[in-house]
Amino acid sequence: MMLKKMYYLPGLVVVFASLLVSDALARQDAAAPKSDGKSAAGSARIAVQIDKTEYGQEATVKITGKAPKGKPVFIEVASEKTVAVRRLDSKRDKETGKIPYIFYTSEDVPAYYVTLIPKGMSDKVEALKAQKDEWSYSGALKDLGIDPAGLRPAAAKVERRKTSIIAVIAGSRGKLMEPLDEKGSVKSVLPLYKSRFKSPARLLKPVVDAKPDGSFEASLKLPKGIADGTYTVTAFTDKAAKTATSFTMVLPAGTWYFKRAGMAMNIFGPFIMALLVTMLGVLMGAGGGFILTPLLLWVYGLPHTIAAGTVLPTVLFSQMSGIYNYNKIKFISWKLGLTMGAAMLAGGFIGPVITQLISLSQYKSWFGGVLVILAGLMLWQTLPAQMARNKHEQEILKQFKKKAEGAKKK
Amino acid sequence: MIINFWGREIKANVVVGAIGAFFVAVASSMFGFGGGPFMVPLMTVVLGLPMYVVVGSSLLAILFNTLMATSKNLFFETVDFKLFAIMAIAAVIGGYLGPQIAKRISPVLVKRVAVVLLLALATQLFGWWG
Repeated sequence: MMLKKMYYLPGLVVVFASLLVSDALARQDAAAPKSDGKSAAGSARIAVQIDKTEYGQEATVKITGKAPKGKPVFIEVASEKTVAVRRLDSKRDKETGKIPYIFYTSEDVPAYYVTLIPKGMSDKVEALKAQKDEWSYSGALKDLGIDPAGLRPAAAKVERRKTSIIAVIAGSRGKLMEPLDEKGSVKSVLPLYKSRFKSPARLLKPVVDAKPDGSFEASLKLPKGIADGTYTVTAFTDKAAKTATSFTMVLPAGTWYFKRAGMAMNIFGPFIMALLVTMLGVLMGAGGGFILTPLLLWVYGLPHTIAAGTVLPTVLFSQMSGIYNYNKIKFISWKLGLTMGAAMLAGGFIGPVITQLISLSQYKSWFGGVLVILAGLMLWQTLPAQMARNKHEQEILKQFKKKAEGAKKK
Repeated sequence: MIINFWGREIKANVVVGAIGAFFVAVASSMFGFGGGPFMVPLMTVVLGLPMYVVVGSSLLAILFNTLMATSKNLFFETVDFKLFAIMAIAAVIGGYLGPQIAKRISPVLVKRVAVVLLLALATQLFGWWG
């Protein structure tokens, strides 16, 4: 019976191989020179250079340049690759006392984004860190004197939907609202940056060292797991004065960029993780999703919507082969299965919508609660009385299976 | 509802069953797990159905949830196809190797280890460590 589970493995291997080829082709595209390197384009008032045109994972980018004397210099480093970020605004409005329930979506948030700020502003970043989850990105930019107009957040399109409990039950994210103007869209994209990057330490790095003559230098250590492709480096003092250059990020072999997750991973990591977790799942008699999803969040920091959405379909194959095998020996009550299935169909319609609407911290704490219940359930199953009952049930199950298989042969 | 299963007539309270199944489906499609470990106790303990009816039928019920949730996730673009391909291959191989090992290990021991592991993961999710 177990060998039958392997039927679709060759098919999956073909899919995997074609992904490998497409990945290699994409790499060749990326290798083509795109960077304008050391040439400083744009405003003549600021000059900026970087030490290389190509970097690998965890490399250090050395940025140097010259700006007008006395003005603080900021440097925006952004990946051209973008991800979709979603957020539900359910914070009670202080003035009206109403909860807005507006769902914001933007597909234009860079997969990697950081603003390098003068070294002297490090205490401001520390103050933001001390605010924990309550920090505000737009407030921080205002405080630091950074105008996001003309930078990457200004280029983002943001979609707004008015949502409600009825919309959720109908399986919808809500009703589309009229488009935002440029100012409104910058204002509403900044919280989405916060949702994606979480901590002020990831968005603001006090590493720019400015000399009295206006020359500046900064070094940025690129983190592991960021997107490949082109990155722009824009040095600016204010809205009017900015100069950009760019570099290419190259990933080592075996490390792929995952588009929907917006991050790069060595493919053996999730492979081995899924392999071990599925084996453990078989042993403990529960699917691997309970363990695999939290592990992906914890080890890789995958967005929770992507982790839940990607792990769930991996159990489809084992479910279908199980149903096929049980049905062959007529061991499924279709009447019971379809009745319960109808209720589960309705539940499966609503669940993914809720995932979209909740924040990572809500997802984590609720999932933790589910795991505690499951742990309790499993502990209860190992109690002697339950073990005896289970043994008895398994015996009857075996007899029925034998009967069913015997009937099939005749 | 009366179910005929291999010559036996079994009574099942499907109203309670359907309500329970609905909530299991919401939770499982929301967090991205299968739902079997909740459905089997629901059907055996709460509905009082014998195990031999439950094993196959619960699997059929869960498939509906997984299919619906997957189509929703495809619509919301929350399935990363490359990552899915990698993990699906691993899951198929793991599903083959798992039962081979299961024959040699005590199920009680595995379940108790799993309890510790689940609690460790739960506390990690609560942000107590890690």
